[in-house]
Amino acid sequence: MNNVEKRLAEAKKHIDSITAPEELEMRLRSALNTTTPKNTKRIAPIWKVAAVALFFMVIVGYHYNAFAFYGKKLLGFDEVINGTLKELNDEGMGQIVEKKTELIDGTDLIINGMMTDANQSIVYYTLTNPNGIDDRKSDFFRPAKVTGFLTNSAVVSGTSLMNEDHTEIKGTMSFEPVSPFSKKLTFHFWQHLQNNQMTERSISFPYNPNKAMQTEIKQSIKKTLKVDKGTITFNSITATPTLTVIEGSLNVENFDRVDFALDGIELIANGSPIEVLGGGSQSSFNGIKFDIRYDSLPKELYSLELVMKEFVGYQMVKEKISLASMDDEPITLDGKELLVKDVSTTSEGVEITIATDDDVMLDGVSIETKKELTSLKTTVNQIKAKQKNGRVMKERTLLFDTTVEPEYLLIEGIHYMKPYKNVIEILVD
Amino acid sequence: MNVVRLVKKAKKGSKEALLQLIMAEKDVYYKLALTYMGNTHDAMDAMEEMIVRLYEKIDQLKKEEAFYRWSKTILVNSCKTLLRKQKKLVLLDDWNTTNERELGHALTRDPYISSDQQMDIQELLLHVNEQQKEALQLKYLHDLDYQTIADITNVSIGTVKSRIFQGLKKLRDHYRGDVDE
Repeated sequence: MNNVEKRLAEAKKHIDSITAPEELEMRLRSALNTTTPKNTKRIAPIWKVAAVALFFMVIVGYHYNAFAFYGKKLLGFDEVINGTLKELNDEGMGQIVEKKTELIDGTDLIINGMMTDANQSIVYYTLTNPNGIDDRKSDFFRPAKVTGFLTNSAVVSGTSLMNEDHTEIKGTMSFEPVSPFSKKLTFHFWQHLQNNQMTERSISFPYNPNKAMQTEIKQSIKKTLKVDKGTITFNSITATPTLTVIEGSLNVENFDRVDFALDGIELIANGSPIEVLGGGSQSSFNGIKFDIRYDSLPKELYSLELVMKEFVGYQMVKEKISLASMDDEPITLDGKELLVKDVSTTSEGVEITIATDDDVMLDGVSIETKKELTSLKTTVNQIKAKQKNGRVMKERTLLFDTTVEPEYLLIEGIHYMKPYKNVIEILVD
Repeated sequence: MNVVRLVKKAKKGSKEALLQLIMAEKDVYYKLALTYMGNTHDAMDAMEEMIVRLYEKIDQLKKEEAFYRWSKTILVNSCKTLLRKQKKLVLLDDWNTTNERELGHALTRDPYISSDQQMDIQELLLHVNEQQKEALQLKYLHDLDYQTIADITNVSIGTVKSRIFQGLKKLRDHYRGDVDE
């Protein structure tokens, strides 16, 4: 033991010998007695926990609707969707999927949710890539179809929006309706590989058919209307919360002579027309089948009618237009204007440039010379151009296989959007 | 004596139980207070303050077994608060005169020898800094374990050990130096 420790030990011995004075106890006792007796009722922690839990239960319970609202909503799609879909999303009508897979280039594909009804099924998806998404290759991600039990739904349409940083695309893709017997769906999509190759990949997710939205109206119409060159039959109407679809068939010879013949069919609910969202037609064995898609019907429906304001029609005109005295004055063919802008003869043949309204297509066109009648070879250079009178008209050049300068332009008839005033009333309950 | 049971009683508000706990180790408390305060009067003042604080705060004591460690920490804090209040500097010169008189009755040994030794160790401890001095005193004069010292001085155990080691080393160097002279 060295000296320091020895001295410390000695000091310790000394300190050990010290004892507390006798009066210490009295002093401590009196000091204690001066303090106020404290409240011995302590609140057990369990009660505090219970109180906090009760508080939150009341708050959450009271705002249950708000929590449920945000719980079901597909978040982040407000900018992509609008109108009806936005309202339905706000009502929480979708079902949340949140399944993720990685694309070849490292982009994450997330299936956020689905919204389904009897007319269509909408897939909400997100593509994210922190390194940026190359959207110049438009084919790098292309949804193909949704399959499942008794389901094989092709893609119908879609919209998507990229964020400012080019790292995220949010989109919706509308498919044909899926079967209510499907419990599991598979989303198929195409991806671009190098060398213009494509590869098909898929991602599966559970689906709850009970969460599909109820069809509001599904009834047959079975009304046939006569038009100039055939008949058009409206078969059924199916109204769901997302869409209203009119299906039918038509047998009209000159249906494809104008661009959008079905555009003239309006669906009027409660006296005001419903917005047309699209339509399509496909030829089948006995005529052409078509469907027209409208926005969803109003919630409170008093009246519903299908109005064919105009449809493709045909008018015989048998016009003989003299090409000798050309001026800027339009020639009127059954109320439709025709402008003959230029007549020239080249080594190719006779070229006549004309302009008409958008919906007008000439039928049985030929030119007459002194000796013979030459019918139309082909039509080229169709453009839309603003005319001197300020209107935008469809301009094209007619080619005739002759080199003789023509005297007359003969037109047998025109195909055009003809006003009809056919109204089909659809009974609503 | 069942410490845990008494602490539980004290927690429920029993002043008698608390007093019993303190009186069981009154000498330890007293010596500790005396070391900091330097005289009997102030040491008893510090202990009074301690017992009031203990009574008020015993609810906050989570582990009943740790009562003595915890109460010693509070005692030292009370001492330091009092010292700060008094801004009292215990000078070595005063020590002789005051201690001999005040401590006299508590010491069983010959007061002259005792105070001589006391002075000796205080003189020796002047060679280390305040923190080392405190740690050395608590360790060697009061026989407290490292954890308690760490609690009292509000630092980690490692720091306490290092202070004691450095302090001892300094003292040894100094002592050797003394001898060499």
